[in-house]
Amino acid sequence: MRFTLIKDIKRDNTMKPIINGLLLFTLLYLVSDFFVSYHSFGLFSQQLKNTLFGNMEEFIEPISKGALLEYLHTQIFFMMMLLLTLSAIFARLCSKKRYMLTLINTVMLSAILTIIALAFTYFLTPLLLNLYIISYFTWHTAALFMVLISLWSLNRDSSV
Amino acid sequence: MIQAYKYSILYFLLFSLLLLLSSALLFDAKIGLSIESILHYYQGDAKHFVAAKSFGGILKIILPHIFAFGLFMMVILHFVVFTKYKQQLHYLTLASFTLALLELFSPFFIIQGFEFFAYIKLVSLFTLEILLLYILYLLQKSIYL
Repeated sequence: MRFTLIKDIKRDNTMKPIINGLLLFTLLYLVSDFFVSYHSFGLFSQQLKNTLFGNMEEFIEPISKGALLEYLHTQIFFMMMLLLTLSAIFARLCSKKRYMLTLINTVMLSAILTIIALAFTYFLTPLLLNLYIISYFTWHTAALFMVLISLWSLNRDSSV
Repeated sequence: MIQAYKYSILYFLLFSLLLLLSSALLFDAKIGLSIESILHYYQGDAKHFVAAKSFGGILKIILPHIFAFGLFMMVILHFVVFTKYKQQLHYLTLASFTLALLELFSPFFIIQGFEFFAYIKLVSLFTLEILLLYILYLLQKSIYL
Protein backbone atom coordinates (compact mmCIF):
# COMPACT_ATOMS: atom_id res chain seq x y z
CA MET A 1 0.00 0.00 0.00
CA ARG A 2 2.20 2.78 -1.32
CA PHE A 3 -0.29 5.48 -0.34
CA THR A 4 0.55 4.86 3.32
CA LEU A 5 4.13 6.02 2.62
CA ILE A 6 3.39 9.24 0.71
CA LYS A 7 3.69 12.38 2.83
CA ASP A 8 0.84 14.44 1.38
CA ILE A 9 -1.47 12.22 -0.59
CA LYS A 10 -3.80 15.12 -1.46
CA ARG A 11 -1.06 16.78 -3.49
CA ASP A 12 0.37 13.68 -5.11
CA ASN A 13 -0.36 13.75 -8.86
CA THR A 14 -0.01 10.01 -9.36
CA MET A 15 -1.72 8.56 -6.31
CA LYS A 16 -4.66 10.99 -5.98
CA PRO A 17 -6.56 9.83 -9.11
CA ILE A 18 -5.87 6.17 -8.24
CA ILE A 19 -7.28 6.58 -4.72
CA ASN A 20 -10.25 8.51 -6.16
CA GLY A 21 -10.92 5.64 -8.56
CA LEU A 22 -10.62 3.03 -5.84
CA LEU A 23 -12.99 4.95 -3.55
CA LEU A 24 -15.49 5.39 -6.36
CA PHE A 25 -15.45 1.67 -7.12
CA THR A 26 -15.79 0.86 -3.42
CA LEU A 27 -18.87 3.12 -3.35
CA LEU A 28 -20.27 1.31 -6.40
CA TYR A 29 -19.58 -2.07 -4.77
CA LEU A 30 -21.38 -1.13 -1.57
CA VAL A 31 -24.44 0.18 -3.42
CA SER A 32 -24.52 -2.80 -5.79
CA ASP A 33 -24.18 -5.21 -2.87
CA PHE A 34 -27.45 -3.82 -1.43
CA PHE A 35 -29.30 -4.61 -4.66
CA VAL A 36 -27.69 -8.03 -5.16
CA SER A 37 -28.44 -9.01 -1.54
CA TYR A 38 -32.01 -7.76 -1.86
CA HIS A 39 -32.68 -9.74 -5.04
CA SER A 40 -30.83 -12.95 -4.14
CA PHE A 41 -30.36 -13.64 -0.44
CA GLY A 42 -32.77 -11.13 1.04
CA LEU A 43 -32.36 -8.02 3.19
CA PHE A 44 -35.47 -8.02 5.35
CA SER A 45 -36.92 -10.44 7.87
CA GLN A 46 -39.50 -12.40 5.83
CA GLN A 47 -37.36 -12.70 2.71
CA LEU A 48 -34.39 -13.89 4.80
CA LYS A 49 -36.57 -16.44 6.64
CA ASN A 50 -37.69 -17.82 3.27
CA THR A 51 -34.10 -18.13 2.07
CA LEU A 52 -32.69 -19.67 5.25
CA PHE A 53 -35.54 -21.89 6.42
CA GLY A 54 -37.74 -22.24 3.32
CA ASN A 55 -41.48 -21.67 3.04
CA MET A 56 -43.85 -24.63 2.64
CA GLU A 57 -46.76 -22.45 1.50
CA GLU A 58 -44.75 -20.85 -1.30
CA PHE A 59 -42.84 -24.08 -2.13
CA ILE A 60 -39.47 -22.48 -1.32
CA GLU A 61 -36.70 -24.91 -0.34
CA PRO A 62 -34.38 -23.86 2.52
CA ILE A 63 -30.81 -23.07 1.58
CA SER A 64 -28.44 -26.05 1.97
CA LYS A 65 -25.62 -26.07 4.52
CA GLY A 66 -23.05 -26.16 1.72
CA ALA A 67 -24.60 -23.21 -0.13
CA LEU A 68 -24.76 -21.11 3.05
CA LEU A 69 -21.14 -21.88 3.95
CA GLU A 70 -20.12 -20.99 0.39
CA TYR A 71 -21.99 -17.66 0.68
CA LEU A 72 -20.37 -16.89 4.07
CA HIS A 73 -16.90 -17.87 2.81
CA THR A 74 -17.18 -15.54 -0.21
CA GLN A 75 -18.61 -12.70 1.87
CA ILE A 76 -15.82 -12.95 4.45
CA PHE A 77 -13.16 -12.74 1.74
CA PHE A 78 -14.69 -9.70 0.03
CA MET A 79 -15.41 -7.93 3.32
CA MET A 80 -11.90 -8.38 4.71
CA MET A 81 -10.17 -7.15 1.57
CA LEU A 82 -12.56 -4.23 1.06
CA LEU A 83 -12.54 -3.09 4.69
CA LEU A 84 -8.78 -3.41 5.15
CA THR A 85 -8.16 -1.23 2.09
CA LEU A 86 -10.91 1.24 2.97
CA SER A 87 -9.84 1.63 6.60
CA ALA A 88 -6.19 2.14 5.54
CA ILE A 89 -7.22 4.94 3.14
CA PHE A 90 -9.63 6.43 5.66
CA ALA A 91 -7.03 6.41 8.45
CA ARG A 92 -4.51 8.05 6.10
CA LEU A 93 -6.89 10.80 4.97
CA CYS A 94 -8.73 11.49 8.22
CA SER A 95 -5.99 10.92 10.78
CA LYS A 96 -6.81 14.13 12.66
CA LYS A 97 -10.55 13.47 12.95
CA ARG A 98 -11.79 12.40 16.37
CA TYR A 99 -14.40 10.03 14.96
CA MET A 100 -11.87 8.14 12.80
CA LEU A 101 -11.27 5.30 15.26
CA THR A 102 -14.98 5.07 16.16
CA LEU A 103 -15.94 4.61 12.51
CA ILE A 104 -13.22 2.01 11.88
CA ASN A 105 -14.27 0.05 14.98
CA THR A 106 -17.96 0.32 14.05
CA VAL A 107 -17.51 -0.87 10.46
CA MET A 108 -15.20 -3.76 11.39
CA LEU A 109 -17.16 -5.01 14.40
CA SER A 110 -20.53 -4.82 12.65
CA ALA A 111 -19.12 -6.61 9.58
CA ILE A 112 -17.76 -9.43 11.75
CA LEU A 113 -21.08 -9.54 13.62
CA THR A 114 -22.93 -9.87 10.28
CA ILE A 115 -21.07 -13.10 9.50
CA ILE A 116 -21.40 -14.55 13.01
CA ALA A 117 -25.09 -13.59 13.31
CA LEU A 118 -25.98 -15.19 9.97
CA ALA A 119 -24.16 -18.42 10.81
CA PHE A 120 -25.74 -18.60 14.29
CA THR A 121 -29.20 -17.80 12.87
CA TYR A 122 -28.95 -20.76 10.50
CA PHE A 123 -27.23 -23.28 12.79
CA LEU A 124 -28.48 -22.29 16.26
CA THR A 125 -31.48 -19.99 16.59
CA PRO A 126 -33.63 -17.87 14.22
CA LEU A 127 -33.84 -15.27 17.01
CA LEU A 128 -30.56 -13.75 15.83
CA LEU A 129 -31.98 -12.83 12.42
CA ASN A 130 -32.66 -9.22 13.46
CA LEU A 131 -29.10 -8.91 14.74
CA TYR A 132 -27.92 -9.94 11.27
CA ILE A 133 -30.13 -7.32 9.60
CA ILE A 134 -29.02 -4.55 11.97
CA SER A 135 -25.32 -5.40 11.64
CA TYR A 136 -25.63 -5.69 7.84
CA PHE A 137 -27.09 -2.20 7.55
CA THR A 138 -24.67 -0.81 10.14
CA TRP A 139 -21.51 -1.96 8.34
CA HIS A 140 -22.81 -0.84 4.95
CA THR A 141 -23.82 2.59 6.26
CA ALA A 142 -20.55 3.05 8.15
CA ALA A 143 -18.52 1.98 5.09
CA LEU A 144 -20.51 4.37 2.86
CA PHE A 145 -19.75 7.20 5.30
CA MET A 146 -16.07 6.30 5.29
CA VAL A 147 -15.97 6.36 1.48
CA LEU A 148 -17.80 9.70 1.27
CA ILE A 149 -15.68 11.33 4.01
CA SER A 150 -12.49 10.01 2.35
CA LEU A 151 -13.59 11.36 -1.06
CA TRP A 152 -14.43 14.73 0.51
CA SER A 153 -11.17 14.86 2.41
CA LEU A 154 -9.11 13.87 -0.65
CA ASN A 155 -10.66 16.44 -2.99
CA ARG A 156 -11.41 19.33 -0.62
CA ASP A 157 -8.14 21.14 -1.35
CA SER A 158 -8.18 20.71 -5.11
CA SER A 159 -4.67 21.97 -5.80
CA VAL A 160 -3.78 19.04 -8.12
CA MET B 1 -2.83 7.00 12.83
CA ILE B 2 -0.57 4.09 13.79
CA GLN B 3 -3.23 2.99 16.27
CA ALA B 4 -5.83 2.96 13.46
CA TYR B 5 -3.62 0.68 11.36
CA LYS B 6 -3.16 -1.62 14.35
CA TYR B 7 -6.93 -1.86 14.76
CA SER B 8 -7.42 -2.51 11.04
CA ILE B 9 -4.84 -5.30 11.03
CA LEU B 10 -6.29 -6.82 14.20
CA TYR B 11 -9.76 -6.93 12.62
CA PHE B 12 -8.22 -8.34 9.44
CA LEU B 13 -6.78 -11.16 11.55
CA LEU B 14 -10.23 -11.86 13.00
CA PHE B 15 -11.67 -11.99 9.47
CA SER B 16 -8.84 -14.35 8.50
CA LEU B 17 -9.78 -16.67 11.36
CA LEU B 18 -13.39 -16.70 10.16
CA LEU B 19 -12.18 -17.37 6.61
CA LEU B 20 -10.08 -20.35 7.71
CA LEU B 21 -12.92 -21.70 9.85
CA SER B 22 -15.45 -21.36 7.03
CA SER B 23 -13.08 -23.05 4.57
CA ALA B 24 -12.64 -26.06 6.89
CA LEU B 25 -16.41 -26.31 7.45
CA LEU B 26 -17.04 -25.95 3.73
CA PHE B 27 -14.52 -28.69 2.94
CA ASP B 28 -16.25 -30.96 5.46
CA ALA B 29 -19.74 -30.17 4.12
CA LYS B 30 -18.93 -30.47 0.40
CA ILE B 31 -16.14 -33.06 0.22
CA GLY B 32 -15.71 -34.69 3.62
CA LEU B 33 -12.72 -35.18 5.86
CA SER B 34 -11.82 -38.78 5.00
CA ILE B 35 -9.71 -40.16 2.13
CA GLU B 36 -12.69 -42.20 0.94
CA SER B 37 -14.99 -39.19 0.76
CA ILE B 38 -12.36 -37.21 -1.16
CA LEU B 39 -12.00 -40.03 -3.68
CA HIS B 40 -15.79 -40.36 -4.00
CA TYR B 41 -16.19 -36.61 -4.49
CA TYR B 42 -13.65 -36.40 -7.32
CA GLN B 43 -13.83 -39.85 -8.91
CA GLY B 44 -17.59 -40.26 -8.50
CA ASP B 45 -19.60 -42.81 -6.52
CA ALA B 46 -22.07 -45.01 -8.39
CA LYS B 47 -23.71 -46.20 -5.13
CA HIS B 48 -24.72 -42.65 -4.17
CA PHE B 49 -25.26 -41.43 -7.75
CA VAL B 50 -22.34 -38.99 -7.56
CA ALA B 51 -20.84 -38.12 -10.96
CA ALA B 52 -17.06 -37.92 -11.35
CA LYS B 53 -15.62 -34.42 -11.59
CA SER B 54 -14.29 -33.30 -14.95
CA PHE B 55 -11.09 -31.35 -15.70
CA GLY B 56 -13.17 -28.27 -16.60
CA GLY B 57 -15.34 -28.58 -13.49
CA ILE B 58 -12.32 -28.64 -11.18
CA LEU B 59 -10.71 -25.74 -13.05
CA LYS B 60 -13.90 -23.69 -12.60
CA ILE B 61 -13.76 -24.24 -8.83
CA ILE B 62 -10.06 -23.55 -8.38
CA LEU B 63 -9.88 -20.53 -10.71
CA PRO B 64 -11.10 -17.88 -8.22
CA HIS B 65 -9.16 -19.66 -5.47
CA ILE B 66 -5.84 -19.30 -7.31
CA PHE B 67 -6.20 -15.51 -7.22
CA ALA B 68 -7.74 -15.42 -3.73
CA PHE B 69 -5.03 -17.67 -2.20
CA GLY B 70 -2.29 -15.55 -3.77
CA LEU B 71 -3.80 -12.26 -2.62
CA PHE B 72 -4.63 -13.45 0.89
CA MET B 73 -1.18 -14.94 1.49
CA MET B 74 0.55 -11.90 0.02
CA VAL B 75 -1.38 -9.61 2.40
CA ILE B 76 -0.71 -11.58 5.59
CA LEU B 77 2.90 -12.37 4.66
CA HIS B 78 3.71 -8.76 3.82
CA PHE B 79 2.59 -7.75 7.34
CA VAL B 80 5.30 -10.08 8.71
CA VAL B 81 7.93 -7.81 7.06
CA PHE B 82 7.09 -5.15 9.67
CA THR B 83 7.57 -7.49 12.63
CA LYS B 84 10.61 -8.93 14.39
CA TYR B 85 9.82 -12.31 12.80
CA LYS B 86 10.87 -11.22 9.31
CA GLN B 87 13.83 -13.64 9.34
CA GLN B 88 11.24 -16.46 9.13
CA LEU B 89 9.48 -14.84 6.16
CA HIS B 90 11.43 -16.69 3.47
CA TYR B 91 10.46 -20.12 4.86
CA LEU B 92 6.88 -19.07 5.62
CA THR B 93 6.41 -17.79 2.06
CA LEU B 94 7.92 -20.89 0.47
CA ALA B 95 5.92 -23.27 2.67
CA SER B 96 2.57 -21.48 2.33
CA PHE B 97 2.72 -21.06 -1.46
CA THR B 98 3.90 -24.67 -1.98
CA LEU B 99 1.13 -26.04 0.24
CA ALA B 100 -1.47 -23.88 -1.51
CA LEU B 101 -0.24 -25.15 -4.88
CA LEU B 102 -0.54 -28.78 -3.74
CA GLU B 103 -3.98 -28.17 -2.23
CA LEU B 104 -5.31 -26.52 -5.38
CA PHE B 105 -3.88 -28.83 -8.03
CA SER B 106 -4.03 -32.28 -6.37
CA PRO B 107 -7.65 -32.90 -7.61
CA PHE B 108 -6.34 -33.03 -11.21
CA PHE B 109 -4.18 -36.04 -10.25
CA ILE B 110 -7.04 -37.67 -8.29
CA ILE B 111 -9.31 -37.71 -11.35
CA GLN B 112 -6.45 -39.28 -13.33
CA GLY B 113 -6.55 -42.22 -10.91
CA PHE B 114 -3.62 -41.30 -8.65
CA GLU B 115 -5.42 -42.00 -5.37
CA PHE B 116 -2.37 -41.06 -3.32
CA PHE B 117 -3.14 -37.40 -4.12
CA ALA B 118 -6.25 -37.63 -1.91
CA TYR B 119 -3.81 -37.82 1.03
CA ILE B 120 -1.89 -34.87 -0.38
CA LYS B 121 -5.11 -32.87 -0.73
CA LEU B 122 -6.13 -33.50 2.89
CA VAL B 123 -2.68 -33.08 4.44
CA SER B 124 -1.85 -29.94 2.43
CA LEU B 125 -5.18 -28.32 3.37
CA PHE B 126 -4.73 -28.83 7.08
CA THR B 127 -1.00 -28.07 7.09
CA LEU B 128 -1.74 -24.84 5.22
CA GLU B 129 -4.48 -23.93 7.70
CA ILE B 130 -2.13 -24.58 10.64
CA LEU B 131 0.66 -22.59 8.98
CA LEU B 132 -1.67 -19.65 8.31
CA LEU B 133 -2.88 -19.81 11.92
CA TYR B 134 0.77 -19.65 13.02
CA ILE B 135 1.36 -16.57 10.82
CA LEU B 136 -1.78 -14.95 12.24
CA TYR B 137 -0.49 -15.73 15.74
CA LEU B 138 2.87 -14.06 14.98
CA LEU B 139 1.09 -10.98 13.64
CA GLN B 140 -1.30 -10.78 16.57
CA LYS B 141 1.65 -11.06 18.97
CA SER B 142 3.49 -8.27 17.15
CA ILE B 143 0.52 -5.89 17.30
CA TYR B 144 0.65 -5.85 21.11
CA LEU B 145 4.42 -5.33 21.32
